[in-house]
Amino acid sequence: MSVPPLLKIENLKTYFFSKGRHAFIRSVDSVSFEIQRGETLGVVGESGSGKSVTALSVMGLVGAAPGVIAGRIGLKTDGIQKNLLQNLDDYVELAEADGRVVEVRKDVVGWQKNVERLMGKVRGKAVAMIFQNPKSSLNPFLSVGRQIAEAIRLHTPYKGEAEGRERSLYWLERVRMDSPRLRFDNYPRALSGGMCQRAMVAMALSCEPSFLIADEPTTGLDATIQSKIADLLAELKSDLGVTTMLISHDIGLIRRLSDSVAVMYGGMVVEYGPARKVLAAGPESGHPYTAALLASVPGERNIRGKEPLQAIPGDVPDTIHVPNGCRFYGRCSRVTDAVEKECASLLPPLLEIAPGHTVRCWLYGGN
Amino acid sequence: MRKRYVQAPGENGDSSGLRFFRKADAVDLLFVGYGLLIVALVAASYVAGVFRLLPHDPEALDLDLLLAPPGTAGHLLGTDFMGRDIFARLILGIQAYFLPGLLAIAVAIVPGAALGVLAGYREGRADTVITWFSNLVDSFPRLVLILLVVAAFKPDIYYIMVVAGLTNVPAAVSLVKGKIRFLKEKNFIEAAEGLGLPRRTIVLKHILWHHCRASLIIRATLGMGEAILVETSLSYLGFGVQEPTPSWGNMVQSGANYFLQGNFWPSTVPALAILLAILGFHLLGDGLNNLLERKAAY
Amino acid sequence: MNLKGVKPVARVLAREVAVTALLLLGVSVVVFGILYLSPGDPFSVLLEGQMTAGVPGLDVREALGIPKAWYAQYLLWLAGMLRGNFGASIRTGLPVLEEISRVGLNTLLLTLGSMAVTLLVAIPIALYAAVRGLNRVSFPLTMAAYVVSALPVFWLGYVVIYLFMHKLGIFPLAFGSSGAARGPNRLYLLLPIVVLGLGNGTLSEVIRHLREEMGRVLSEDYVRTARAKGASVWKHAYKEGFLIPVAEIVASKIPFLLGGAVIVEQVFNWPGMGRMAWQAALDRDFPVIMGIAVLAAVFVRTGSLLQRFVYVAVNPGASRETIERRTA
Repeated sequence: MSVPPLLKIENLKTYFFSKGRHAFIRSVDSVSFEIQRGETLGVVGESGSGKSVTALSVMGLVGAAPGVIAGRIGLKTDGIQKNLLQNLDDYVELAEADGRVVEVRKDVVGWQKNVERLMGKVRGKAVAMIFQNPKSSLNPFLSVGRQIAEAIRLHTPYKGEAEGRERSLYWLERVRMDSPRLRFDNYPRALSGGMCQRAMVAMALSCEPSFLIADEPTTGLDATIQSKIADLLAELKSDLGVTTMLISHDIGLIRRLSDSVAVMYGGMVVEYGPARKVLAAGPESGHPYTAALLASVPGERNIRGKEPLQAIPGDVPDTIHVPNGCRFYGRCSRVTDAVEKECASLLPPLLEIAPGHTVRCWLYGGN
Repeated sequence: MRKRYVQAPGENGDSSGLRFFRKADAVDLLFVGYGLLIVALVAASYVAGVFRLLPHDPEALDLDLLLAPPGTAGHLLGTDFMGRDIFARLILGIQAYFLPGLLAIAVAIVPGAALGVLAGYREGRADTVITWFSNLVDSFPRLVLILLVVAAFKPDIYYIMVVAGLTNVPAAVSLVKGKIRFLKEKNFIEAAEGLGLPRRTIVLKHILWHHCRASLIIRATLGMGEAILVETSLSYLGFGVQEPTPSWGNMVQSGANYFLQGNFWPSTVPALAILLAILGFHLLGDGLNNLLERKAAY
Repeated sequence: MNLKGVKPVARVLAREVAVTALLLLGVSVVVFGILYLSPGDPFSVLLEGQMTAGVPGLDVREALGIPKAWYAQYLLWLAGMLRGNFGASIRTGLPVLEEISRVGLNTLLLTLGSMAVTLLVAIPIALYAAVRGLNRVSFPLTMAAYVVSALPVFWLGYVVIYLFMHKLGIFPLAFGSSGAARGPNRLYLLLPIVVLGLGNGTLSEVIRHLREEMGRVLSEDYVRTARAKGASVWKHAYKEGFLIPVAEIVASKIPFLLGGAVIVEQVFNWPGMGRMAWQAALDRDFPVIMGIAVLAAVFVRTGSLLQRFVYVAVNPGASRETIERRTA
C-alpha cells in the first residue's frame, strides 16, 4: 500500500561551523522520517537534539553557515510536489574521512537564492510554522490583527482590507481569543504569552496550509496556559485535521496529540513508530533513551510515593565531539556484554522491530 | 562562490589555547596590529621630539630648496614654503596633540565613569539629572563650543583640550551606564550586594575594573583619534598652535595655497600623517572592540 | 500608521518638547556662563548691543542702564534673545540675528546636503553588508570608508578644488564671496556638500551602526516569523532596522556636520554661519559667536526631537520606558 506521504525527509544533514573550535556542529546528522496526510508526528528529544533545526531546515530558514548540506525533503500536497532541497548537490561538495564529513564547500549565497525560489510559493501557504516564544515572534511594531490579516491577504482569496479583517476576526474567534475585536488592534506588548500563541496559531491556520510545523508551542508559557493551548491544538486537530509536525520536549503534549512519534538524540532519530508503541517504551522495550526519557517524567509515584526522580545519568550529547559508536553509549543502562563492542565503536542503523516501528539500537539485532 | 569549511581530520575539535585567535577574525588582528604600530610610532616620535632627536633642524631655512618634494637630498619628506624640513616639523607637530590629547582623554573618562556609575547604580533622580546634563553637553557641536571658548578666553591648547574632553563625557557616561544596566539585568550586582560586598568594592573592582575596563580603553583610543582631529582642525583654522611652532594642522594650512598651484607635498605630507594616525586609533579601537567586547557565539 | 492610543503618545511627545525647552534653557546658561567668566566685561558690551540694535524705545532703556548682578544680566539677555534680539555684532554693528540669517541658509543647505550625501553612500553599503556579510564586495568598501573617515576634511577640500580647477576650469573660490549665492552659483554648493558629506569623519561609524542594527533586526524572531509566513522581510524589518537607526544617525551626527561646516566653509570661502563663527572667534565678537552657538544648539536639539517623533510614530505600541531606553 503506498499512499505517498505528505512529507518525507531522507538523510537530512544540517551542520554549523564553529570558528572558535574549528569544527562542525552536527546538529542534524542524517535524519529520516515521513508524515502521512492528516497525521500528527510528534518529535521528542532534549534541547540540542536537533528537533528545531530539522524544522527550520524543512522551511528553509536555517541562517547560519554552512546549514543544510545533504538530504532530500519531499513535500507532496495538492498542487505541490517537490523536493525542497532540489539541486542541493549543485551547491555543495562534501569530503569525508572515516565515514564522517570533514570538509564542506558550499555556495551559501547561491543556495539561499535557490531556497527562496523553491520555498517562495510554499511558505505560509502550503506549509506554515509556529514558534516558541510567541511574544517575540510577533512584530512589535504592528497590531496583532494586521499581522494575521497580512497572512490571509497574501495566501488566500481574501485580498481586500475589509475581507482580511473579517477573516482574521473569524480565526481569532476560532482560536478562542477573548474579545477578538479588541485584540485585533492590540499590539503584542499588550497580550499575554498565551494570547500571542493563539494569535500565532490563527495566523498560521488561517491560510489553510496542508502542513503545519509547531515548534515547542507550549514551552515558555505558564503551566496553566500550556494546558489551554494544548486543548486548543487538540480541538483544531480534530476539527481541521491538518498534517502536523509537533516538536516538543513535553512528553504529555506529545502523548496527547501525536499519531506517530520520532525520538531524536544527538542529531539523529533513535526511535520512530506509532505513538502508542513508542511511548510505551519501558525497561525491556523500545530504545533505551526513550525508556529513560519516559521514566524521567515525574508521575504519581514520585509525588505520592515520594520516589526519587529518575534522571538520566551523564551529560547532554556533544554534537561537536561526535563519537564513533552509538551516541547514547555511555549513558545507556541496558548495555550487555554481547553488544558492548558494537555499541562503543559502530553506529547502529535504524532496525525494524515491528511493522512501521524502528529503533536505532544494537540490542535489537544487526550484525 | 563557494565558502569552505574544514575540520581538521582525525580530530573532533580544537582545544582552547589557540581558540582565541581562531575565533578572532584576521581582520580584527590586523586592525589592532596596525593601531599598535601607530601608537608606538607616535609615542616614539613624541619622545624623539622632546629630546630633539630630529633628522634635521626644524627651524633651519633652506632658501634654495623651497617646496621640495619628498625624496630630495637631505629632506626625506621634502620642505615647506620656507625651506624648512617637513619630516622634522612633523615629529615636532606631535607635541601639539600628544599630551593635550591625553589630558582630554583623562577629562573625558574620569568624570564620565564616575557620573556613569552614579547614574547607573543609583538610578532615579540622579539618573535623570545626569542624563539631562549629558544631553546638554551633547547639544553643542564641539568645534562651535571651542570657538566660543576661544572667543571668550583665547586659551592655549591645554585648556581647549579640557573643553574637548568635557564634550566627550556623555559618551563615557552612557558607556558605563549601559554596562551597569547589563549587569543589573544579569543580577550580578544584586548578587554582589547580597554577598555583603562593600559598595566601593562592587563599584571599583567589579563594575569598573572587570567589566568596563575594556570599553573604557577603547573609548580612550577613539578619544585620542578625536583629539588629533580637534587639534589639527583648530590649528588649521589658526586658533591652536601658532606659527612658527609646527602642528600638523597649520602645516596643511600653510601649504594650502601652494597646493592649488600644483605643489602638493607640503600640504599632503602632514595630511597623510593625520590620516594614518587617526586611522590607526580608529582601527585600534574598533579592532579591540570586536576582539574584547563582541563575544561571538561559540 | 495607527493613530489609536494617541493619548499616551501625546503625553510622551509633550514631555520631550518640555525637556527640549529645558535643555535649550541650559544651553543659554552655559553660553552665558562662558562669556560671563571671561576677562573684561563682555556682557556690558553685549547688553548695550542688544539695547541699541534697532529696538525702539531707546530712551527708556538708556535710562535703565545695564544691571550689575549676574542673574539680572542673564535674564535681560535671555529676554532679549527670546524676542529675537541677539545683540549687535561688535565688528559690523549690525544686529546679530540679521547677520546670521543672511548666511544661515547656506549653512543649513550645506549641513542637510552633506547629511544626505553621507547617507546616500552609507546606506547601500550598510544594507548590503547586513544581508551578505563581509565579502569581496563589502569588505573593500568598508575599509575605504575607514580611510575616508580618517581623512582631514580640509585637505580633501583642497584636493577637490584642485581637481575642479584644473580639470574643469571652474574657480569655486571666486564664488560666494559676497552675500547669498544666487542663480548658477548655487550649483557649486555641490562641491562643499560632497566634501563635507564624505569627509565629516562619521562615514565608517554610520555604516557600522546601520549595518549592525539591520543585521540584528534580520535575526530577530519576528522577522523569522515573517519569512516563515512568506511575507516581505523588508516590510517587517524596515521600521526597526532602517527608519529608527537612520533617524538616530541624523540626529546624532548633526553636531559633527555643523563643526565640519566651519572648516569646509573656510576651505571654500563659503559665506555661512561656520565662517562667520570663525571670524567672530578671531575678532572676539561675542554677540555673534554666542548667537551662533545658541542657534547651533537649537538645530541640534530640533534634530533630536524629530528623531524621537519618528520613533514614536513608527512604534505606537511603545511605552515610555522603551522610548527612553532607545533614545537616551
